[in-house]
Amino acid sequence: TFGFLQKHLFGNKTITEADLKTVLQKLKQKLITKNVAPEVADYLANQISQDLVGSKTANWTSVEATAKESLEKSLTKILTPGVSVDLLHEIQQKTGSKDSNGRKNPYVFSVVGVNGVGKSTNLSKLAFWLLQNNLKVLIVACDTFRSGAVEQLRVHVENLAQLTDETHTRGSKNSRGKTGNDFVELFEGGYGGSDLVTKIAKQAIKYAKDQDFDIVLMDTAGRRHNDPTLMSPLKSFAEQARPDKIIMVGEALVGTDSVQQAKNFNAAFGKERNLDFFIISKCDTVGEMLGTMVNMVYATGIPILFVGVGQTYTDLRTLSVQWAVDTLMY
Amino acid sequence: MVLADLGKRINSAVNNALSNSQDDYTTTVDVMLKSIVTALLESDVNIKLVSKLRTNIRNKLLESKSKSTNTAQTKKLIQKTVFDELCNLVDCETQPFQPKKKKQNIIMFVGLQGSGKTTSCTKLAVYYSKRGFKVGLVCADTFRAGAFDQLKQNAIKARIPFYGSYTETNPVKVAAEGVAKFKKEKFEVIIVDTSGRHHQEEDLFQEMVEISQVVKPNQTIMVLDASIGQAAEQQSKAFKDSADFGAIILTKMDGHAKGGGAISAVAATKTPVIFIGTGEHVHDFEKFSPKSFVSKLLGIGDIESLLEQ
Ligand SMILES: Nc1nc2c(ncn2[C@@H]2O[C@H](COP(=O)(O)OP(=O)(O)OP(=O)(O)O)[C@@H](O)[C@H]2O)c(=O)[nH]1
Ligand SMILES: Nc1nc2c(ncn2[C@@H]2O[C@H](COP(=O)(O)OP(=O)(O)OP(=O)(O)O)[C@@H](O)[C@H]2O)c(=O)[nH]1
Ligand SMILES: [Mg+2]
Ligand SMILES: [Mg+2]
Repeated sequence: TFGFLQKHLFGNKTITEADLKTVLQKLKQKLITKNVAPEVADYLANQISQDLVGSKTANWTSVEATAKESLEKSLTKILTPGVSVDLLHEIQQKTGSKDSNGRKNPYVFSVVGVNGVGKSTNLSKLAFWLLQNNLKVLIVACDTFRSGAVEQLRVHVENLAQLTDETHTRGSKNSRGKTGNDFVELFEGGYGGSDLVTKIAKQAIKYAKDQDFDIVLMDTAGRRHNDPTLMSPLKSFAEQARPDKIIMVGEALVGTDSVQQAKNFNAAFGKERNLDFFIISKCDTVGEMLGTMVNMVYATGIPILFVGVGQTYTDLRTLSVQWAVDTLMY
Repeated sequence: MVLADLGKRINSAVNNALSNSQDDYTTTVDVMLKSIVTALLESDVNIKLVSKLRTNIRNKLLESKSKSTNTAQTKKLIQKTVFDELCNLVDCETQPFQPKKKKQNIIMFVGLQGSGKTTSCTKLAVYYSKRGFKVGLVCADTFRAGAFDQLKQNAIKARIPFYGSYTETNPVKVAAEGVAKFKKEKFEVIIVDTSGRHHQEEDLFQEMVEISQVVKPNQTIMVLDASIGQAAEQQSKAFKDSADFGAIILTKMDGHAKGGGAISAVAATKTPVIFIGTGEHVHDFEKFSPKSFVSKLLGIGDIESLLEQ
């Protein structure tokens, strides 16, 4: 018994590969049940090995507890953004400087991602957040493919117009004859092919500049990340629209494919351009299985801007890394 | 098709095991199982299912070893055991509901947000319409922005009669009205689309139960995205408990995901997959037969020869 206690509890023991083997196996299994892809779980296990083999356990600390601590550290490191981003500040900087005609350049976002992950919904949540910060927002319907995509955004703009101005009557036009009000408006160009998409995008940015909008939010059609004919138009879209930030919406429900989704979207814009952020949607639907966000950040190093935690406009949160790590470790 | 990659890996694990003459039988089996387990986990199959599958295959193979004497028999034994266990996973037995002509067949769609319900509703409508049924679509999603427009545009393109409302906010009411209308007009297949929901929100599940009570579906179909990961089991079990769906449609099978999460949902709910969605267009839809699917997965051309033995 004493030997057992000494080994497992007393601490101050030099850790070997062999000590870690079963512990790591157990931790890997647990990570996989939390929807961490096996590939990523392996990586994390290796990190623990590197961190611990040859080091000593602390007093009164078992190898397992030490390994968990190390895992916690790795997860925190992955999920914590490398640079701190103050988006509102960045927006202010860009829109604050006027060109020679005294006009400002709007700050442009576009959201991308596979089908049905929550691009349009989270774009609308983003609009709500920006509106709350007193910015004028133009929402652009660049999904010209999926049935109802334009009407979906029209409903969101109506909702947002009502939220910013109680007197807004649904279906009414604003002073420019468009859907929305003075703060939020829809820019639409109907349905069609990818030529139409770039055309709408360019027109929208010009329009936003002419009409003094602070923000342009471009929705795009969902696309399969393994189909080059669907992915390649993204590159020309980004070259034409030149968004300040490209946000990929990734869905918390997605399993191991999330690794490849993130990689392929990150690579879609060519060598010169990467994704800027992720929004991880549907975090409210997975309980403690938060692995997808680890997978996507691991695959690309791109930070998480927000997490989606529901279907209403306020269900957009800044990621609490502590919360995510605790949930994954629990 | 997807899962093909998983199939290839399982198949090559089996083949490697079969061609290996150096190791003893138990080692061969264990090496094979290790690669199968890795392949399944990387395809999102639920981790508990994987370990159960592993134990089952191992026990069966080690038990039956004494009976088979030559390599040809061992080969058959291994293939059949793996085949049977995978087949058990995706349920090859239950006969799904078939709509009957001159009867009123009501089909209700349920599933998680964004899984592909609205798209698949139209695909199924077109499938039955082509087979001579009189089909109508009801949009009982009053929640999602633009849901009715989406269904309407799909239905118009596919020339399927539809029902929905821009003003009514209660989905139970719209569902009841739509079904009543199509019943009165002697439609044979009435398909009801509903909002996406998840089990963590009780109200949403309650709403689904209420819709189901007024619609009285002959068949409830759960739509599952092939890329779903470890949450598949929990969510699908909860849908099974509340909506008692009798069939599954797997969507986005044209993607890169290997569909293991969805397979776990199938296993957890003992419900057959009847169709798969392979694209965004209305004709990207295939009938699904689990048995031929697993045999394709394993690269076995002729299942019957395995089954005879
Ligand atoms: N529970 C939950 N549902 C969400 C969240 N974000 C989006 N959804 C739902 O997911 C479904 C799909 O959302 P959309 O915004 O239409 O997705 P999309 O990526 O634009 O879809 P496509 O344009 O068809 O590719 C809708 O029912 C949304 O309400 C979230 O954070 N939590
Ligand atoms: N690639 C591909 N995309 C699909 C398939 N089925 C549906 N989609 C796409 O997935 C997205 C979501 O589909 P919907 O039919 O709107 O999903 P839903 O379940 O009705 O969504 P909610 O009503 O918001 O819960 C759309 O962009 C569809 O075009 C499929 O089989 N393959
Ligand atoms: Mg969209
Ligand atoms: Mg829908």
